[in-house]
Amino acid sequence: MNLLLQFLVDSILLGGLYTLMAIGFSLSFGVTRIINFAHGEFIMLGAYGAFWLFKIWGVDPLIAMPAIIVLGFATGWLVFNSLIKRVLAAPNINQILLTFGIGLVIQHIAVILWSGNSRSTTPEYALQALTLGEVFIPYGRLIGCAVAVALVALLIAWLKITEGGRAVRAVAQDEDAATLMGINVKAIYALSFAISSALGVATGVVVSFIITVTPFMGFPMLVKAVAIVIVGGLGSIFGMALGAFILAFTETAFAYYVPEGSGWSEGVAFVLIMVILIIRPHGLRGQAEA
Amino acid sequence: MRLDSLLRYAGFILAFAVLAIPFLGLPGLADIVFRTCTLAIIAISWNMMAGAGLISLGHSGFWGIGAYTAALCANHLGIAFLPSLFCGLISGALIGVGLALVTGRLRGIYFAIATLAMSEGFRIIAIMLPDLTGGAQGEYLKSTLFPGTQFVYIVASCGAVCAAAVSWLVSRSRYHYAFRAMRANEQAAQMVGINPMRYRLTIMALSGALASFAGAINVWNGGYLDPNVAFNLHTTLMAQIAPILGGIYTIAGPILGALAAMGLGEGTRLWLGQIEGVSLLIFGVTLVACVLYLPKGIYGGLERYYASRMRPVYGNRADLKDPKP
Amino acid sequence: MSELLALSNIHAGYGDSTVLQDLSITVNTGELVCLIGANGAGKSTTTRVLTGLLKPWQGEVRFEGSSIDNIEAHDRVNLGISLAPEGRRVFPSLSVNENLLLGSYAPRARSMRNSTLSEMYDLFPKLSLRRNQQAGSMSGGEQQMLAIARALMARPKLLVLDEPSLGLAPKIIIDVYQAIVQTAKQGVSILFVEQNVHAALSIAHRGYVLANGHITLAGSAAELRESKTVQESFLAPRRKRPEEALLGNKQITQAHNEVLK
Repeated sequence: MNLLLQFLVDSILLGGLYTLMAIGFSLSFGVTRIINFAHGEFIMLGAYGAFWLFKIWGVDPLIAMPAIIVLGFATGWLVFNSLIKRVLAAPNINQILLTFGIGLVIQHIAVILWSGNSRSTTPEYALQALTLGEVFIPYGRLIGCAVAVALVALLIAWLKITEGGRAVRAVAQDEDAATLMGINVKAIYALSFAISSALGVATGVVVSFIITVTPFMGFPMLVKAVAIVIVGGLGSIFGMALGAFILAFTETAFAYYVPEGSGWSEGVAFVLIMVILIIRPHGLRGQAEA
Repeated sequence: MRLDSLLRYAGFILAFAVLAIPFLGLPGLADIVFRTCTLAIIAISWNMMAGAGLISLGHSGFWGIGAYTAALCANHLGIAFLPSLFCGLISGALIGVGLALVTGRLRGIYFAIATLAMSEGFRIIAIMLPDLTGGAQGEYLKSTLFPGTQFVYIVASCGAVCAAAVSWLVSRSRYHYAFRAMRANEQAAQMVGINPMRYRLTIMALSGALASFAGAINVWNGGYLDPNVAFNLHTTLMAQIAPILGGIYTIAGPILGALAAMGLGEGTRLWLGQIEGVSLLIFGVTLVACVLYLPKGIYGGLERYYASRMRPVYGNRADLKDPKP
Repeated sequence: MSELLALSNIHAGYGDSTVLQDLSITVNTGELVCLIGANGAGKSTTTRVLTGLLKPWQGEVRFEGSSIDNIEAHDRVNLGISLAPEGRRVFPSLSVNENLLLGSYAPRARSMRNSTLSEMYDLFPKLSLRRNQQAGSMSGGEQQMLAIARALMARPKLLVLDEPSLGLAPKIIIDVYQAIVQTAKQGVSILFVEQNVHAALSIAHRGYVLANGHITLAGSAAELRESKTVQESFLAPRRKRPEEALLGNKQITQAHNEVLK
C-alpha cells in the first residue's frame, strides 16, 4: 500500500514536470507545424544558465528563472527570425534537418565550453524532503512540480484571455483565416517559437535541481516531449497534459514494478510513439489533421 | 564535356581507385578509404529513402542491427566473415520490410519520428538484453574468424561500388518514376495507379540492406560493439549530412558528400586537434549552412557552374523572349 | 458612386497552371456585385487575389483609387477589405464570441469592437444564443452567419463573400441572403462570388460571369437574367462530357505532370 502511495506521488510530481516540458514544445509545433529538434537543447541551456548563476553568484534557480526566461525568449526569437523563417516554405526534410543541425550546434558548443561532466544546482531545498506518513516527498521535486504547474497555468491564461494568445490559437487552427483577420502569421510564428523557447529554458531551470545537467540531457527530453504530443494529440492542451501524465505514470510504473525497470523506462517514450503512430496518428484528443 | 559525362568518368576512376587502394600497403590511407566507403554506403542508403519521400531519422538503427547480426552470427554461431555480412544485409532488409509494414501510410514528420523511435528503441533493447547482446558492456568479435584487415577493406570498397551501382540501377528503373511521384505527393501518386505500399516495401528493404551491410562490415573492422556505439545518433547524422552536402536525390550526391564529409572530418581533426565536440560542431554548422544556402549540395553547385558556362549560341538577344507567361 | 475596388487584367494561378486570364472587375461604393461561375472557373482564386492571399503574375488590384499590390494580406484588412472565405473557415475550437473578437483584431476595428459586437448580435440573433458555443459544433448555416459576422467585425468598406450559399439548405440560404441585404443597406459595399445563380442575381445590382478564368459576360442583374448564355449555362440542365469532370481534378493533373517530368 505504501509503495502504491509513493508510486502515485512520484508519478504525479513527474507528470507536472513533463507537462511543462511538453507544452513548450507543443506550442511551437502546434502553431508552426515545424518540429523543433533543438527544443531539448533549449532545456539544456536553461539548466546550464541556472547552474552557472548558482555556482558563480550563488543565485537560487527560482530567483534566476525570470531573467533566464527572458533570455530564452530572446534567443528563440533570434533563432527563428534568422534561421527558421527561411525554411517555412521549404520541404519537410529541410525543416527537420535545420532544427536538427541547430540542436547539434548548440549541444556541441556546450560540450566545448562546459565539458561533458555532470552538474547540478544544489539549493537548500533540493536536498531536503517532506515525509508524510510513509511517503517520501523530495522538496526539489515538489517545488519543481509546483513551479511547472504555475507556468503552465500562466500560459493557458495568456492563450485564453489576451489578444496575442487568441491570435496564436487562431493561427494554430487556420492560417489563411487568421491572415484574413489581419493577423501577421509570420510574426505569430516568431512569437510562438520565442515563447516555446522561454518555456524550454524554464523547464531546464526547474530540472537543474532534480536531475543531472550535461550537454546531452536535451535529446531524451525532446523524445519524451514528442511522445507526449503524439499521445495527447496536437491542438489540445488537455490531451497534452493527459499524455504527460500517462508517460509519467508508465515510466514510474516500470521503474517500480518491473525488474531493472529504470533502464526500460527510458524506452517507454519510444514505445508509446510507435504504438500511437500506428494506431491513432492524431493522438488521443487531437484534431484530424495528421 | 557535360556534367553527367564528367561525373561518370570521375565515378569510374574513383571506383578503380577505391578498389586498388587496399592493395597499396598504405594503412593510414586505406583506413580513411574504408571509413569513406562505409559512409558512402549508408549515405546512398539514406538518399534512396529520401528520394521516395521517406525521411529517416533512424538510420543508425539499420547500421546497428547489421552490426549486431554480424557480430552475433560470428560469435555465437561461428559464421565466417563474408556469410556474416550477408546475414547482416538480410537482417537489414527484414527490418526495412518491418518498418514499412509498421509505419503503413505515415508520411513526412510522423514517419521521421517513427524511425527515430525505432532506432532508439533498438538501442534500449540492446542495453537491456545483456545475455543476447553483451549489454552495455559490449561484445568483442572473436579474433579467430577475422580475415585480415586488407580483406575487410577490399570488401568494403566492393560494397561501396556495388551500392553506387544499385542506386544507379534504381534510378534507371521504372521504380524511379514511382518514387519521384511519391516524394511529391503520395496521395496523388496513388491516384495514377502507384501502390505506395509496394514501393515503400521495396525501397525500405533495399535501403535497410545497404545500411546494415555498412554496419556489419564496420563491426568487423572495429572488433568491438556496444549499444551506444552501434545505435549512435552520430551515424544517423552523418548518413544525412553526406547526401545533403553532396546533393540530395542525385546518384553522385551521397558519394561526393561522403568524400567532402570525410575531408571535413579529417581536416578538422588535423587542424583543431582532438578537442571534444569540435568536429560535431563543424558538422552541425555545415548541416545548417547547407540547408539554408546550398540545398542542392555540391552537385547543385556544379550544375549551376556548368549552366552559367553554357551561354546561348547567339549571345543575349533582345528578341529571345522569356518563355514564362 | 465612386470606384471602390478594381481588378485590372489579372493573370494568376498556382504553380504551372493558369487559373485567371486577363480578369477585370470593378465594384463601386454602395453596390452589390456578384461574380458567378461554375466549379473550377476561378471564383475563389479571384477572392484570394484581391485579399492578397495569392499574388497575381500580372495585373493590378486597386482599392479606393490606389494600388494595393504591395500591401500584405494581413494589412489589407485594416484598409477596409474583409473576406468571409469559401467553406466558412471559422475557427472550430474557439467559441462564437472568440471568433467575433478575432474579426476585430485589426487596429481600426479594435477601437470600435464593443459596439460592433452588439450590432452583430442584433443582426444575427442566432449567434447571440450560441455565444459561448464552439464554432465547429454549429450547423453549416450558423457557421456561415458567423463567418459573415466575423468579417463584418472588421468594419469593412468592402465585404467579400465566397460562396455564401454553398452546402446550405434553401431555407437557410434565404436567411443568409437576408443578412447580406441588411448589411448592404447599412452602407457596406459587397462583392460576392456564387455558383447559385438564381440567388445571386436576385439580390445583386450588377454581375460578372466567370468561365475558365475569363469574364465572359458583364452587366446589370436584369441583363444577366435575360441573357441566353446565362440561361443555358446555369439555369438549365446541361450534359457534361465525362472527361471534363476528370480534367478539372487538380490532384490528378499534378500527379500526371510529376510522372512525366
